[in-house]
Amino acid sequence: MTDPVVPPPPGELDGWQRLHPLSPILRGGLVLLAVLGYAASQLFDQVLSSLGLGSVVPDGIAEGGPDDPTAALVAHPLLALLLVLGVIGVVAGANWASWRFSRFRVAPHQVELRQGIVFRQHRQVPFERVQAVELSRPLLARALGLAQVVVQSAGGSDSHLRLAFLSLARAEQLRDELLERAGRSDEASPTVLSPGGGLPHDEVGVATAPPARAGIPVLQVPNGRLFVATILHSSTIVLGALLLAALGGTGLGRYGPVVIIGVPAVLPIAIGVAIGRVKELLTHGNFLIADTGTGVRVQEGLTDLRTNTIPLHRLQAIELVQPLWWRPFGWWRIRVNVAGAHGGGEGSEGRETTLLPVGTLDDARLVLAVVAPRLSREDLHDGALGDRPQPGWQAVSNRTRVLDPLSWRRNAFRIGPDAVVLRSGRVTRRVVAVPHARVQSLTVSQGWLEGRLRVASVHVVPAPGPVDPRLSHLELADAELFLAEVSERARAARRAASRPTPSLAPDPPGLVDWSPQQQGHPHDERS
Amino acid sequence: MADPSTVTLHGGDLPWRPVSPRLARVRLVTLALLVVPLLVAAGVVGLLVTRWALLGLVVVAVAGAWAAWVVVRQVSAISWVELEEEIVIRRGRLFRTLVSVPYGRLQYVDIQSGPLMRSQGIATCEIHTASPESGGSLPGLPVEEAEALRTRLSARGEAQRAGL
Repeated sequence: MTDPVVPPPPGELDGWQRLHPLSPILRGGLVLLAVLGYAASQLFDQVLSSLGLGSVVPDGIAEGGPDDPTAALVAHPLLALLLVLGVIGVVAGANWASWRFSRFRVAPHQVELRQGIVFRQHRQVPFERVQAVELSRPLLARALGLAQVVVQSAGGSDSHLRLAFLSLARAEQLRDELLERAGRSDEASPTVLSPGGGLPHDEVGVATAPPARAGIPVLQVPNGRLFVATILHSSTIVLGALLLAALGGTGLGRYGPVVIIGVPAVLPIAIGVAIGRVKELLTHGNFLIADTGTGVRVQEGLTDLRTNTIPLHRLQAIELVQPLWWRPFGWWRIRVNVAGAHGGGEGSEGRETTLLPVGTLDDARLVLAVVAPRLSREDLHDGALGDRPQPGWQAVSNRTRVLDPLSWRRNAFRIGPDAVVLRSGRVTRRVVAVPHARVQSLTVSQGWLEGRLRVASVHVVPAPGPVDPRLSHLELADAELFLAEVSERARAARRAASRPTPSLAPDPPGLVDWSPQQQGHPHDERS
Repeated sequence: MADPSTVTLHGGDLPWRPVSPRLARVRLVTLALLVVPLLVAAGVVGLLVTRWALLGLVVVAVAGAWAAWVVVRQVSAISWVELEEEIVIRRGRLFRTLVSVPYGRLQYVDIQSGPLMRSQGIATCEIHTASPESGGSLPGLPVEEAEALRTRLSARGEAQRAGL
């Protein structure tokens, strides 16, 4: 995506826009706050000690004697002020210059960003490569009414195009514009015509209806429920059990000392667990999912409120998962694989791929009605809760129940007209659906023991993400049947996807349909 | 073309094609590069220092022979077939895997060959899809066949390409 800089041809100079003039302040804002905070704390401390109230920080730090630089600075307030102003000036200058040299524009077929003073960079993302557009609002930006637009493309986080910052209204407008264009040039490979009316994708963006801008809110997750669900995690449960055992241990005089010695060893783990849980809470707080017609808009974040719009046709696989601890409440989580969202690095993990952090099966149905409108209630119910053989579900081998003592009745697959559905797990329940049109490849494997038992495992490979659909220990014949059947359906689905006009006959009712024909009008029948 | 519904993990009626036996030669040479210095070292120590090292010599020799047998069997177990819309690759005897990659999902095809493989005139054909784990790799194709395969795969991929 990063091309060597070439000066723009004369005719293309127009259309280049600057980012919001407040953005350098915002970018430097953190440094500014840190400098001011440090200065203030030093000053405060000095004032306190001069009033004879003693030091609020340990002696060694505050009472540095005459050599202490802070003492010198307090003695010469003007010098201190100059120093602070100097630092602020340098930071502000650098940010201002970087703002001055950053420009972006929306060209007919791509969005472009030029930035850099010494090392110049010109990044272009063609619309057909746009995977999702995210609106992010860190705390400071929210205070100033600004937002950052991140255009995600297939190459992972390095290839993202980041516009920081724009006014909120402009950012939303830009987001909608980009999504509209990106949605129109979907499936635009050289041989495939755009699904709507057989227009070649060069003519995209012409005569398109504006999408529903704000989207229809589908579901909101109460922060209270999210809090409880976040606490109910294996790590916290184990830690809690440890603590209880420790408390019990201290009661018995003999073990008391041992336990007290053990506490510091557990402390780092406890801190790690706490950080993980708080991060989860911060990421998924204020969760709101909305239906925009061609995609879903996910808004989440306790402090850093992000809005991410995922076009429906970028969804590759979908998973409902219920950890054991959530079962008393009947809670589920929905995760998806989104093309291009992988490789987002640590920070974005789980952000772009969670469509429901925690919710009841009914909540999950509401979300699935938007993202997978053709998943039938019964199939969802059977897939989520079924734990014994059912018509339509092909279970794994019962000869290998010693290998899956708990889940051998539950593990099963069902090949629907639109998607293949795998259900598994008695402890952590899991249902995975991969639309036939999204299957990347299929794998059948057989280890040594599996070979002896004449069973095999299948793996449906979608585009990468948190969802990994596999099913172990099928009868060999069933696994081969699965391979043949899913291959056949995938073939048909690919052919359907590359047909210029949708078929006249209505598709059979069934599970999930994410085929491109559906994009234009998937949600009218929802409610 | 053959009926694609008869893809099986074992045997089968499809025209499964083996890879070149020269791949076994390449892998045996690689194995020998590892085993022979060990044998020599064990032999020298056994003659000069302690007779116990000769026991090590025997162990290494047996392990090397077993590894060579495994290599030969592994190579003979790799087979592949081009169907109308997929390429299917099978490998392994003890641990069998079968990968079926539709042409329409191909992103790109790499041909790799190291100096040893080049000396035997064979190459590895790596098939990449949008998912890093789903690609197949087909080692030990004669170079001209690997290139012909790549050309065929690219052409079919272009003709049957489906969006992500």
